[in-house]
Amino acid sequence: MTAVLERTHAPLGRVVGAEVRWVLRRPRTLVVLGLLALIPVAVAIGIAVAGRGGRGLIAQVAGNGFVLPVVALGLALTLLLPLAVASAAADAVAGEAGSGTLRGLLVAPVGRARFVVMKAAGVITVAVLAVLIIAVVGMIAGTVVVGGPGSLITLSGTTLGVGEALGRIALVAVWTIGQLLAVGAVALAISTFTEHPLVVLACVLGGMIVFGVLGAIPSLDWLQPLLLTTGFGAGTDVLRDPLPLDGLESSSLRALVYVVLGVGVTFWRMARRDG
Amino acid sequence: MRRRWFGAAGAVAAAGAVVAGVVGIGTASAQPQLPPVSPEDLVASVMTAQPGPFNGTVGIDNELGLPALPGAPQLGNGQQSARVWSGGDGKGRVALPSGDGEKTLVSDGTTRWVYDATDRTATRSTGGAPEQKDPQTDPAGASAQIIGDLRKTSQVAVDGTAEVAGRPAYTLVLTPQPSERTMLREVRVAVDAEKRIPLQLTVLATGSATPALQIGFDDVTFGPQDPSLFTFTPPPGTTVKDAPARGQGAPGAPDRQGPPQGSRTVGDGWDRVVVFQRPAQQPGRQAPQGAPDLNALGTPVTGPFGNGRAITTAVGTAIVTDDGRVAVGAVPEPVVAEALGTK
Repeated sequence: MTAVLERTHAPLGRVVGAEVRWVLRRPRTLVVLGLLALIPVAVAIGIAVAGRGGRGLIAQVAGNGFVLPVVALGLALTLLLPLAVASAAADAVAGEAGSGTLRGLLVAPVGRARFVVMKAAGVITVAVLAVLIIAVVGMIAGTVVVGGPGSLITLSGTTLGVGEALGRIALVAVWTIGQLLAVGAVALAISTFTEHPLVVLACVLGGMIVFGVLGAIPSLDWLQPLLLTTGFGAGTDVLRDPLPLDGLESSSLRALVYVVLGVGVTFWRMARRDG
Repeated sequence: MRRRWFGAAGAVAAAGAVVAGVVGIGTASAQPQLPPVSPEDLVASVMTAQPGPFNGTVGIDNELGLPALPGAPQLGNGQQSARVWSGGDGKGRVALPSGDGEKTLVSDGTTRWVYDATDRTATRSTGGAPEQKDPQTDPAGASAQIIGDLRKTSQVAVDGTAEVAGRPAYTLVLTPQPSERTMLREVRVAVDAEKRIPLQLTVLATGSATPALQIGFDDVTFGPQDPSLFTFTPPPGTTVKDAPARGQGAPGAPDRQGPPQGSRTVGDGWDRVVVFQRPAQQPGRQAPQGAPDLNALGTPVTGPFGNGRAITTAVGTAIVTDDGRVAVGAVPEPVVAEALGTK
């Protein structure tokens, strides 16, 4: 009790820890993470049942289990992973505002900057966990259900050993987290402008779809460097040999700009918001 | 509230500008100062150039106006990029990435492999002299060939300098003689000032300011290459095929060197028209996947040669007659029709 009286603000670690625990105790977070884990399992079972044949990236998984986490992350990145991250960001500020608990947080002895860091930590946790779950479940399902030669056959026809294959999977996981942080930062920024979590979800998912449509219009190709979704295909590059880094680098740089933008707007807005 | 939204919009615009600046790094650059060189010396140095091993990225900007073929979408208009590695001595590797796969061409000097990731097939071909690499992906081979063939009927000039892939280069310009009846206006080849290999090939057609075809290095690095790049072992689960002997080119090389067997040429230089008999469909053999149905392309034409269909692109014309003859040239339709009439 005396400690509380002496402190002027709570330590950051404890605040972040509390937020992360709070996020992870929400049943909807756990349900979303559980459902994401089903993606690689579903792909693995589909491949095991259907066997070889067909075109496209999913067909690469057949007899080549290490490809599964990469393909599953690529599939999920188009909509489901952004959905998971956006819902976490929507709950973080707009959800609290909607249920009336945000006001209590804002009058608590936590600075506004710390508040943003704490909320961002919750979103980052969901993004990292979601990607790790898909990658790990994908590796397990790829090994157990699909099987394979114990090595990764690249799109270039070369064979990578286990160590390098795991390195490639780790690389695509880190890259995917980077893309998701861009989505999360923008979602958090939107979240600070509304008290309705659904608005955040609608904006983020609608934005992803609009970006996808804009990117598909040939006469708007000058717009492509601005669209976050333009670089989403770069994750496939980890399946090429020698590893081309251009696409991964440029898409990560683009994601970084979105992160800076989203976090900046979030700080700017939260410094002024009164509940 | 409204003011805040405007502020946010301003921040979005600023960040967009940052992205544009970061991603779309301009390629425009000043013309480098280089000692003058005569076209003959430049061409000769290209013919004898020994650039040594290198790797790079090649960009292909195709506005040829070829009809969209379902089996060969890579020939249609659009932009493509390829990664190339050259080890010298006929050793090379070309990777043609696509969204959900990749086509890889590997040559170790004697054996050539084409690996297609989308259906996991590897096609092997051996023997013969090391073939010129696919001209679409090897500006060096394509330009050298064109210079050698066309010098006699063209005005050749060195038209200033340029910077291609960050390297100073001479620009060699080939213009058809006025008597030539070609659809091509100009062929520009940027030749690396130091290594004397062609870095960029630009084909300009009459009546258009933008290039019909531009193939060039986006970046290139000279230096020793990893020897393992030039060997290929089919990975497990791959269907390995042996390419049929000469004539049936690898699927990755639709524009193989030289006209098909049994062909004849009419005219020379820029006017050259190649006339050949269409290979008869073999009933037992499966046509290549999505093989173009030539009967459905182009517009019907009639002439002294009979009936046929003319396929006109930005740089040339082909006429396929109903009795199976094909005439192709970088010339307007009347010249092709005329060539079909000559014996």
